[in-house]
Amino acid sequence: MSSSKNASPAKKQTTLNFGGSSTAPEQPTLSSFLSGGKDQKKDKKGDKENDQMEVDKPELKEDLETVAAEDKKRKRPNIIVDSSDDDETDDEAEDLSHNMEHSKISSQTIVEKSTPTPTPAPAKKLKREEVKSEDVEVKDEPHNIASEEDEDEEIQQAKEEEEADERQKKEDKAVAKKLASVFTKSTKLEPETSWKKGEAIPYSALCKTFELCEGTTKRTEITTYMVKLFKQVIELTPDGLLELLYLCINKLCPDYEGLELGIGETLLMKAVANSTGRSMDKIKSDYRDTGDLGLVAKNSRGAQRTLFAAKKLTVPFVFKTLRTIAKISGQSSQAQKIANISKLLVACQDSEAKYLIRQLEGKLRIGLAEQTILSALAQAVVLTNKGMHYGGSKLSEAQREQAFTKAVEIVKAVYNQLPCYDMIIPALLKYPIEDLADHCKMTPGIPLKPMLAHPTKALTEILDRFENRRFTCEFKYDGERAQIHRLEDGKTTVYSRNSENMSGRYPDVMEKVAQWVAPETTSFILDCEAVAWDREKKCILPFQVLSTRKRKDVKEEDIKVQVCIFAFDCLFLNGESLLQKPLSERREKLRAAFVETEGQFAFARHMDSNVIDDIQSFLDTSIQGNCEGLMVKTFDGEEASYEPSRRSRNWLKVKKDYLTGIGDSLDLVVIGAFHGRGKRTGVYGAFLLACYDQDKQEFQSICKIGTGFSEEALQTHHDFLQEHVIGRPRRDYLVGPNAEKPDVWFSPVQVWEVLAADLSISPAYMAAVGEIDKAKGISLRFPRFIRIRDDKKPEEATSSEQVADFYRRQSGNTSGGGLEQVGGTGVDDDFEY
Amino acid sequence: MLEARLQQAKLLKSLLEAIKELVTECNFDCNDSGIALQAMDNSHVALVALLLRSDGFDPYRCDRNLPLGLNLNNLNKILKCAGNDDILTLKADDGGDTLSMVFESKDNDKICEYDLKLMDIDSEHLGIPDTSYDAIVHMSSAEFQRICRDLQQISESVKIEATKEGIKFSGEGEVGNGSITLKQNANVDNEDEATKIELQQSVSLTFSLKYLANFTKATPLSTRVTLSMSNDVPLLVEYKLDNLGYVRYYLAPKIGEE
Repeated sequence: MSSSKNASPAKKQTTLNFGGSSTAPEQPTLSSFLSGGKDQKKDKKGDKENDQMEVDKPELKEDLETVAAEDKKRKRPNIIVDSSDDDETDDEAEDLSHNMEHSKISSQTIVEKSTPTPTPAPAKKLKREEVKSEDVEVKDEPHNIASEEDEDEEIQQAKEEEEADERQKKEDKAVAKKLASVFTKSTKLEPETSWKKGEAIPYSALCKTFELCEGTTKRTEITTYMVKLFKQVIELTPDGLLELLYLCINKLCPDYEGLELGIGETLLMKAVANSTGRSMDKIKSDYRDTGDLGLVAKNSRGAQRTLFAAKKLTVPFVFKTLRTIAKISGQSSQAQKIANISKLLVACQDSEAKYLIRQLEGKLRIGLAEQTILSALAQAVVLTNKGMHYGGSKLSEAQREQAFTKAVEIVKAVYNQLPCYDMIIPALLKYPIEDLADHCKMTPGIPLKPMLAHPTKALTEILDRFENRRFTCEFKYDGERAQIHRLEDGKTTVYSRNSENMSGRYPDVMEKVAQWVAPETTSFILDCEAVAWDREKKCILPFQVLSTRKRKDVKEEDIKVQVCIFAFDCLFLNGESLLQKPLSERREKLRAAFVETEGQFAFARHMDSNVIDDIQSFLDTSIQGNCEGLMVKTFDGEEASYEPSRRSRNWLKVKKDYLTGIGDSLDLVVIGAFHGRGKRTGVYGAFLLACYDQDKQEFQSICKIGTGFSEEALQTHHDFLQEHVIGRPRRDYLVGPNAEKPDVWFSPVQVWEVLAADLSISPAYMAAVGEIDKAKGISLRFPRFIRIRDDKKPEEATSSEQVADFYRRQSGNTSGGGLEQVGGTGVDDDFEY
Repeated sequence: MLEARLQQAKLLKSLLEAIKELVTECNFDCNDSGIALQAMDNSHVALVALLLRSDGFDPYRCDRNLPLGLNLNNLNKILKCAGNDDILTLKADDGGDTLSMVFESKDNDKICEYDLKLMDIDSEHLGIPDTSYDAIVHMSSAEFQRICRDLQQISESVKIEATKEGIKFSGEGEVGNGSITLKQNANVDNEDEATKIELQQSVSLTFSLKYLANFTKATPLSTRVTLSMSNDVPLLVEYKLDNLGYVRYYLAPKIGEE
């Protein structure tokens, strides 16, 4: 109770009010409002308890004071009637009538003061983010459809994924063990915030947990926090579990329904400005300093007061509003979005604003992986299972541990087959966890995450890996992964590798699926690659051609780029899951159930010989056929099953790039940069590079680069380049009309050596414009910084002519002929074909 | 059930113009004494309270409390179909899910009937305490609108200072600053133009002009406006409707930034 005691004497002189004495309870409506204040107070008490727990953490202690001060500063006073306490209303009314002229400010400020929230100071937070930030700084160029990774990085990434996988398993076990022991000691899991049984989950409960997760990098701890939260929800408000879970993974629905957040920064800043009355300039400069809009929103002290305190946010309300925001489209959608966001922001307390903004941005950045959530969910379900008495002595510690581990395995396995919480959560709450798999089965219409292959550098690696085992090689088609589903009733859908519904992109495929199916085939899930196809020459076209296809609402009559589907796996056929069957059997079934149609549907070419010479020549054939390389897969036995969503070593990929290297590097001039975010706050996060056109004497933009920099390198570049910032692009800089404008421009002073995977035509860049395409330039795919070329002057950088040569030399662009037909003026015929 | 007949549709049309920028959805609470509305904007910075007393309608009938949840944009679409001089009748059944509107042109040869779907709006009624204000300024509503519009050209917010001498509106922006002072005067010739100040104590408050400009959408409803102020208390801007009720706006003041 200490908090309310502290608050009340202070309040006497600080409650800002209409000045009248009518806070008396004769107004029933008002007292109903006041009861909200009472709840608030109760909550504060709860916080207080937590705070005491928190203080034990030494690293937080030091921050408490600063935070208390900060919090006090930040809070917007509510004016008309604030969180006055119910039982004190009468006294207060009397008081007020005595001192009517007495100027008062909100009581909330004071309550706040006495109960500091243990938020670490911003500086500290940033450091933590550095460690954990999983965001990739620079996005792929917009014209790449499927985001393939830079090759070395890809291998690196695969390795990391594998390690992460291992780690996850170990950690799951560790958590299971921890929880098991926690319960033998019959220690209670202390909930962070509580609410009444059956009531809507307060959003603050979720944000408190987010805060705890953000405060640690240990996954076991994060899992434990999540288990606590889920357990509490299952016990108090099981109906809210699904919405809570979606907020945890920051999604609004299963991926295939395609409803996404990811509100633009500007819009969010406008909303923050709108709801706090601060100016856009101030918010922008704060954002530049912290790199985190969430923090900016949290720390935005309002210049504008409010009338009545808003109702506390609840999980269902936040979720519903987020969905509404995501659905808003069309006329005045911006204003509507801002209005809805303001509605949420105005009700935010403590750290709620921070996480709310991050949810709106589409990135939570608290190191909460979906796998962690799955295992936390499974363990929370075990903990709340009424059949087991975990406080008692019925089960030994080892048995408990086993129960946890098993539950995690079950939930993860089920999720792999049916990645749809809408179906899993209700089943989890209804049936015993052991039976979950019987109630949640793979279903056509619900896309699974495809199995991924491990990259390899040499053919010998394959032999090492698959020694004494049967394996098979398939062409690795250079297109877009597609999962084709057909339900019993004939409904067909095409999904991308990220489970997005691509039916709108492939109406031609949807139309024809029925023709490829054998008569006895009813329902299926096919794993395929959609590849651009030249109908006249009857050959495969490179990926760049496919990427010129419109992405949404394609009309069949407008299609210029034809697509051929190459099927290589079948996961589900005629009501039966084939995941556990070996590839040999799956392939057999695939071939029996479908019919090839020339130029539309084909089975992936394969070769089952395990002799290295054969593989080499098969690889050569595939590359000649405009494919990327080979997929090598285990053919028989248990390891030949289909493992959804895993990058498995049972599938290896050999890409031509890995074998031949990337070719020559380019020397390019730095002409601009983008401010960094997240762990790159304070330095430049990415740079704009240009090549030099010697005839026209101009620098032509070629790519945005953000890969290959060490932290020190970024600092060095920042220190050096900020000396050369210029107010506007020089007149000899040629930047495309559709280009993303960098935040700062530089004089041409430094040349960098850069490697890239590939070159492509892009409307956003201007390198060698007019050489290949009249209006579009050439860009680099996956550029990577190698070193600074101090020995070269900017005018000695790689010339546009050289860039054009590189482009022509790319094998895909000479044999396929996909893009060259648009070529025009100034093309040197010697280089064509 | 509700049945309310209004001689001029124009009144309701103007009322809607006066509130729809601030609020998109809200409940019209109907009871035997009249129709009332109360709603805050999304940011909880401004509140609008509207009252239409039953004696302003002829006839008026409402037996029991009946909240009509309406989307104001949709209501506005329908009201646009009414002529300014049409006779407007509102009808709603207890527990029904529509609001019926009938527009009859004066010479009675045209009748339009529209039904608007009602919605469930969860709104808590906020008790606004009666306050005795330190400064109450009565002035021409057109003048107030003009002042807000002019200052909005240069500034985002306006400082309002009321003293014995008069009322001063001032704004400051990147391009410069400006102020308008109205002296207390009892213009006998034209009562609508007069500026009257009832002052207990001088006040000085700052408000967002965006909201004030929004409030002045109610100008066509009344030639006079009343600004009631006390330091650190929300501003009350009131437009009285002849014999019928009022539109009141409350606005929380701004405090110095950083």
